[in-house]
Amino acid sequence: MKVPLIWLQEFIDLPTTDVGELSDAFDMLGLTVENVEMIRPGWSDVLVGKVLEIAPHPNADKIRVCQVDTGSGPDQIICGAWNFEVGAMVPVAAPGAILPGDVEIGQRSIRGVESNGMICSEKELGLGDDHAGILVLDGDSEIGTPFADYVELPDVVFDLEVTPNRPDAMSMVGVARDLAAHFDITHRMPEIQMKTVEGSTDITIRVDDPVGCRRFTAREIIGVTVGPSPFNIRHRLHKIGVRSISNVVDITNYVMFELGHPLHAFDANSIAGARLVVKRASENETLVTLDGVERALTPDDLIIYDDDGPSSMSGTMGGARSEVSDATTRVLMEAASWDPPTIMYMSRRHDLRSEASTRFERGVDPNLADIANQRACAMVGALTGGEILDGAVDVISTPTFPAIVDLRLSDVERLLGSGFTVAAVSAILTRLGMEVEGSDPMVVTIPTYRPDVTRPADLIEEVARIHGLDNFEATLPSGLSGGLTPEQHRQRILQTSLTGAGLHQAVNLPFVSVEDLAHLGSELATSELLTVKNPLRDEESKLRPTMLPGLLNAIRYNLSYGLGSVGLFEIGKVFSSVPDEEDPRLPAQPDRVAWAVVGDVGTHTLGGTFLKADGAVSLALWRRLAKSLGLRDIEVRPSSAPGFHPGRTAEILLAGVPVGHVGELSPRTGRAFEISNRVAVAELDLAPLLRPVSPVEAKTPSLFPFIEFDLSFLVDESQNVSDLLAAMRVAGGELVERELVFDEFVSSDLGEKKAVAIRYRLRASDRTLTNDDAGPIRRTMIEAAQKTGAVLRGA
Amino acid sequence: MSFPNEQVETQGRSNLPPVVDPISALDRAISETPAAVAAVDSLEGLAMLESTLLGKESALGEVRRRMGQLDPVDRPKIGAKLNEAAEVINALLTARRAELEAEDEGRRVREESIDVTLQAITFPSGSLHLIQQTIDEVVDIFVALGYRVASGPEAELAWYNFDALNTPSTHPSRLESDTMYLDWGDPDDEVLLRTHTSPVQARWMEQHEPPVYIVVPGRSYRTDTIDATHLPVFHQIEGLAVDTDINFGDLRGTLLHFAREFFGPQSTVRMRPHFFPFTEPSAELDVSCFACDGGEPGCRVCGGSGWVELLGCGMVDPNVLEAVGYDPAQLTGFAFGMGVERLAMVRHGIETVRHFIDNDIRFLEQF
Repeated sequence: MKVPLIWLQEFIDLPTTDVGELSDAFDMLGLTVENVEMIRPGWSDVLVGKVLEIAPHPNADKIRVCQVDTGSGPDQIICGAWNFEVGAMVPVAAPGAILPGDVEIGQRSIRGVESNGMICSEKELGLGDDHAGILVLDGDSEIGTPFADYVELPDVVFDLEVTPNRPDAMSMVGVARDLAAHFDITHRMPEIQMKTVEGSTDITIRVDDPVGCRRFTAREIIGVTVGPSPFNIRHRLHKIGVRSISNVVDITNYVMFELGHPLHAFDANSIAGARLVVKRASENETLVTLDGVERALTPDDLIIYDDDGPSSMSGTMGGARSEVSDATTRVLMEAASWDPPTIMYMSRRHDLRSEASTRFERGVDPNLADIANQRACAMVGALTGGEILDGAVDVISTPTFPAIVDLRLSDVERLLGSGFTVAAVSAILTRLGMEVEGSDPMVVTIPTYRPDVTRPADLIEEVARIHGLDNFEATLPSGLSGGLTPEQHRQRILQTSLTGAGLHQAVNLPFVSVEDLAHLGSELATSELLTVKNPLRDEESKLRPTMLPGLLNAIRYNLSYGLGSVGLFEIGKVFSSVPDEEDPRLPAQPDRVAWAVVGDVGTHTLGGTFLKADGAVSLALWRRLAKSLGLRDIEVRPSSAPGFHPGRTAEILLAGVPVGHVGELSPRTGRAFEISNRVAVAELDLAPLLRPVSPVEAKTPSLFPFIEFDLSFLVDESQNVSDLLAAMRVAGGELVERELVFDEFVSSDLGEKKAVAIRYRLRASDRTLTNDDAGPIRRTMIEAAQKTGAVLRGA
Repeated sequence: MSFPNEQVETQGRSNLPPVVDPISALDRAISETPAAVAAVDSLEGLAMLESTLLGKESALGEVRRRMGQLDPVDRPKIGAKLNEAAEVINALLTARRAELEAEDEGRRVREESIDVTLQAITFPSGSLHLIQQTIDEVVDIFVALGYRVASGPEAELAWYNFDALNTPSTHPSRLESDTMYLDWGDPDDEVLLRTHTSPVQARWMEQHEPPVYIVVPGRSYRTDTIDATHLPVFHQIEGLAVDTDINFGDLRGTLLHFAREFFGPQSTVRMRPHFFPFTEPSAELDVSCFACDGGEPGCRVCGGSGWVELLGCGMVDPNVLEAVGYDPAQLTGFAFGMGVERLAMVRHGIETVRHFIDNDIRFLEQF
């Protein structure tokens, strides 16, 4: 909310006008300063002057010769505008004055008549767009006053962020009240001098919805002349960014910003049947609002009806039918108290957020309604010549009483620490307009403009706020014991393992498109996807059941910027519409780790790298990860999954339980994501990987010499080498220290076979092995290999 | 098949020429050695010469082998000579070895220099996402203070996301314009994408006895259009402390400690009253600008104000404690929540939050 300092000062005598000090005060009160605007006059040497005489120009029809007094006797000024008469008060730029745009005013002769300065328009002073005539000021302005003083310049406009719990601070008076508490001084309300005439309005008011409308006050003003507002009102509204419309409408806005209570002015002659009824709308009703938009109403909308149907939307925007216009002579001034949630839903439903709705949805004090009404009527009476009928309407359908809360000093100390006294707490609350009686407990009566304060905790917040949050000593709780869980610790290890292999961690939005899922060749039915009911964009409507599309899109993105080698991994949730096993009220949402790698991998030398990402690289990444995490009881078996290359993919099982797939992207999916090279991919459930493993039992390395021998076999091309290795490992027993597959190839010479060469190293823990030991073991291992169908080469 | 480690014993024997006079043979060996040593110009050659001069087939070897056959009277004299010859030869060899090693060192240093400025070999090195790095760093600060790390579901019951956190049924944050609801489950037990990490507070307190000291990093979701400062999915870190004697000073002290750990020991904080449904009193915490000395006009971090808005915090509202079955008459607590993207952005001068989800390696690998 924008607060011009000079307007604010009407209600408080501030101990400082230093912008920095005031900003700090606002910040400490929780009225955070978002912006400070310094407004300076764009001119110098412009004074308020009075037009003493007007005579025709001897040599021209369209301009006149004026005698103007700016405090030092009459000066002759030629003026081309005709919107003023003798006696008018006007801004006068004397010779030597500078106007916006560095225009210097001089003494000059116009068509043979001397002119000593210029009478200015709003536009010439940079105060508005009105160029139709010169700026005519209020009659009670003083001759010779610097015009800058008259328009309250220079001024400072503070833009305050008012939190939703503080409707009381949404006005000049409310801000003054908070500052008064902060500085421990007083503030004041505007003086209301409402002169009324005898008579009662013939308009009747009925409230059918006492929840939606707690109070409805109305006054009728007759004999109103609608026209432009006086300049000082227009200029104050201009400073806070409010457009001037007409005197009557401007006054409703002015009083809303001054006191915090929104108002609405009806053209009383336009109220059909001279009757207003407040009730919820029916289906199929429409209402054209002030902005000319026809709105379809719902039964949740709270509407003011007249005999012709819906007339005005409560608390958000008036209706076009009863709008105040230039022809209006009778005004019905309304100040009503609307139910906050009703206004919140209605303003959002109709996309009608206004200054009024913002206040009502936070909670405007019903006990302020008639004060605001009187203030507005008094101003309309004073500025439009209207007469206020003394018979006012005040329908109180639900009275609002102040809350009374018991507050104990011990509760204050429990929340805020020691060092507070009853006297200090009472003093702070009193400064905020609360009444405090007794000491333990303090019985606190809370003014109705503070609907947010209903409990001891709320009062304690007020004590802390006025005490100053920065005035609390900084302490630390002691005696805690925390730490990462084994799973959290293992996730760090997992992260390090993957980054150590050269992968970069990606973060994708956890949504997926149906097209991308189709690219994977996923058989996942769309009905199994978890969907968002109210997505802002279609891209954010379906939650991902797999991590792969996000990673593949990220690879495509990087490739499109010329990066040839991209290695990414991601940790996050996937979602499905299946109920979660642990909490069936929720959909399943397991954590996964996934990667996608394309291009060069491994150590890079000047000549490039030896390795290109593919299924084998993916499996190597998996083995590295499994090693880092100390995983045991791992089974790797040929398998496939949507998007994976069926011949280059393994399913991983931990302790016999499948945890995911590691391998290569299928060529078809690669094409769909516009990736032409092979992609190493994997997607694994995170929880089983992070499950703590039992500590490794150490083996003492043998210090005895070893024996090595190589074996080469032919096996069926379709057979897994792991079967062969496992058989030989069993046959070799404890003496096998190391096995190393150092060659594997398929050649047309070998038929449907592939050749595998393995180097074995045997070593005993307690003696030096001899050929007599090695020979029989070697023979046993060969026999075991042959049982798997392998044929020893070169035998 | 080969057994490379088998030890093979050398069986070599040669027929030795007769030695007439051991003393003169040793003298000759002594006198000839300096020239022979000087003539060697490599360490390999020196090793060969050493075996020629001192090995079994050398003059010294010959004399040593025949010692047993000598007249016992001559043995001490010849033995002494043998030792002298060995000492002299060894000394010459050692000296020459040192010379050759120095030469070799000099040559290698001359010939083997590499361009140390050239990145000829690069080991793979990836990176954790800046979001992850930031989360891990913040989490570690609180773990060191004795906090535990909690997590919870992202598809969450509206009850935990709102009701348990004292958010009225009419609060605007519940509107579909702010919160993503899921097309799933029982319509009376609405499931949504959590709008903050705070529901984990309620879940943790339901499942654990006090005291509670936790931090909760995680994803949050809001109906937002992507722009420079907004993402529909972002990360938060939430903190919660509930104990028998927690007060506002503890909140202030904890966050001051955090600010100093994260932004440097010179940091100060200020707190501004604010509003959150789940805390009372509530505040926003600013940290003194770490990029300028405070109030430098046009500072990229603080914009000249000297303060950087960091997080929201407050004392846990008694209604929140009650909702999870804690007794607000016995327990008090504080809570705070910060945006991870924002922390990273202010610290690293990142101009748009989009970078966090583009996964552009050129962005990621900087950190």
